[in-house]
Amino acid sequence: MTPDFLHTIEVILNGLMAGVMYSLVALGFVLIFKASGIFNYAQGVMALFAALTLVGFQTGQVPFSHLINELFGTQIHHWGPGMNNLIAILLTIVVMIVFAWLVEKLVLQHMVNQEPIILFMATIGLAFFMEGLGDLMWGADIKTLDVGIPSGGSFWWEDVTRTWVSEGYDYYGMYIDLLDVYATGIAVLLVTILTLFSQFTKTGRALRAVADDHQAALTVGISLRTIWVIVWSIAGIVALVAGIMWGSKSGVQFSLSLIALKALPVLILGGFTSIPGAIIGGLIIGVGEKLFEFWIGPLVGGATENWFAYVLALFFLMFRPQGLFGERIIERV
Amino acid sequence: MQDIVKEDDILLEVRNISLSFGGVKALEDVSFDIRKGEVRAIIGPNGAGKSSMLNVINGFYHPQEGQIWFNGQLRNRMKPHQVAKLGIARTFQNIALFKGMSTLDNLMTGRYIKMHSNLFAQMIWKGPAQREEIEHRQKVEEIIDFLKIQSIRKTPVGKLPYGMQKRVELGRALAAESKLLLLDEPMAGMNLEEKEDMCRFVLDVNEQFGTTIALIEHDMGVVMDISNRVVVLDYGKKLADGSPDEVRNNAAVIDAYLGVSHD
Repeated sequence: MTPDFLHTIEVILNGLMAGVMYSLVALGFVLIFKASGIFNYAQGVMALFAALTLVGFQTGQVPFSHLINELFGTQIHHWGPGMNNLIAILLTIVVMIVFAWLVEKLVLQHMVNQEPIILFMATIGLAFFMEGLGDLMWGADIKTLDVGIPSGGSFWWEDVTRTWVSEGYDYYGMYIDLLDVYATGIAVLLVTILTLFSQFTKTGRALRAVADDHQAALTVGISLRTIWVIVWSIAGIVALVAGIMWGSKSGVQFSLSLIALKALPVLILGGFTSIPGAIIGGLIIGVGEKLFEFWIGPLVGGATENWFAYVLALFFLMFRPQGLFGERIIERV
Repeated sequence: MQDIVKEDDILLEVRNISLSFGGVKALEDVSFDIRKGEVRAIIGPNGAGKSSMLNVINGFYHPQEGQIWFNGQLRNRMKPHQVAKLGIARTFQNIALFKGMSTLDNLMTGRYIKMHSNLFAQMIWKGPAQREEIEHRQKVEEIIDFLKIQSIRKTPVGKLPYGMQKRVELGRALAAESKLLLLDEPMAGMNLEEKEDMCRFVLDVNEQFGTTIALIEHDMGVVMDISNRVVVLDYGKKLADGSPDEVRNNAAVIDAYLGVSHD
């Protein structure tokens, strides 16, 4: 194999793994959109909030410490040395579940039967609120997140791929980030669990039922409000996983919430109502933007990754607005 | 049709129900009862308020006035999913199934109120949750046999023909093993053969499971054949109430259906 060919494989592999990260964020959107028809603008901020909370627990920060210090003139910052990763993650999950319950209680409950655009506006408000709350609770400084997932290049893979090249070429092997590999594994695990849960359990069936037909779900005794709390909790947990992955990669900071923007083209490609769509859409975007950068990038001066996904989404909007896997839009005349 | 229906054994009673949407009066001072074990028909011309009545019983609409008594107890204002838990199941005029799910999953979802394992047990899918799944699956298979829909067990119901969808919807309502079954035009849009099948199923449900049934139907032949008692609505008011024969010979009912002659 020539080095050029191996380079291309490397680019595709890295694209696939970047795509998994996009899929993770898109998945949270799809879950909520299917169950309640709400496009949850706050999904990205939920990932940020979850990651902030996790770091806060890990390092033993006192929530609202700045506020408390300001109000009472105290000097508290940390309550202790922090806690074990696993306990911190479990506690963060609890926080996300409580958050889901509060969202239902304080926001959604009062907006039943409203237009989708109004619910969408409500989630924009929610996004700003959570952004502020995250800052207030844990401070606005950039934090590093390390939950013990290995990162950095895999030497083993480098050694293996080095031997693939044909004789007479110089080749140093493929670079692959271990963090990306783990992220992929965890994402696969998460999607598998979600799929099994929705196929084979009573609550999973209820989730699908609500996604399918609200009226019918009510008549068989399913409470929409309970289901919404569950769905927002799951979306919160998915946001936490996305927050951990992106946070480990590039630090926990405000820009983390902007990954939601990258999920938009993924959703347009995959369709807003399809979980497999979110995954495959993410992979296509991930591979597409990396390959585009690799092949076309040098011709146009690079930096194509910033806009490629959006342009691709634009073409989809023109020719296949329901996405690859979304339910077909049929207008009756 | 059960012959022995005791008069004082009332399952559901609506008293002086009035329902309006803005200025439109959908129901005005309607009262009637449904006895345990009977097949009760609600008939009337289009727009008479029949479906509104079912929606009131079912909890989709909340009447401005009137009381609903179920099983001897005055019912508070309830949401549809709470009504379902009380033991009232229903079907819809224009079919409300989970179209993306298989027949089997639709029926399993119909058993939602009968399943009690908690979320945590379901996650692990061992012990109680697993036992429960298997137990309920058996019950669902019985209903599938009863309705003769074995061959479409795994088919997504959105792909089924209309008549079959109606049957699956009945199956889902049956799966809840409710005390009262509300059927909104179960035979609408069916051909003669399908209608006969559906009549058979309704009567069998009533006889074999002892389920009380309230149904809305337009086909007068069907109504007269299968119901014990008939209540007639017209323009949101009760016009007549009694046995099929009484209702058939009631002058007001004949007027409402055939028009009044002005001579």
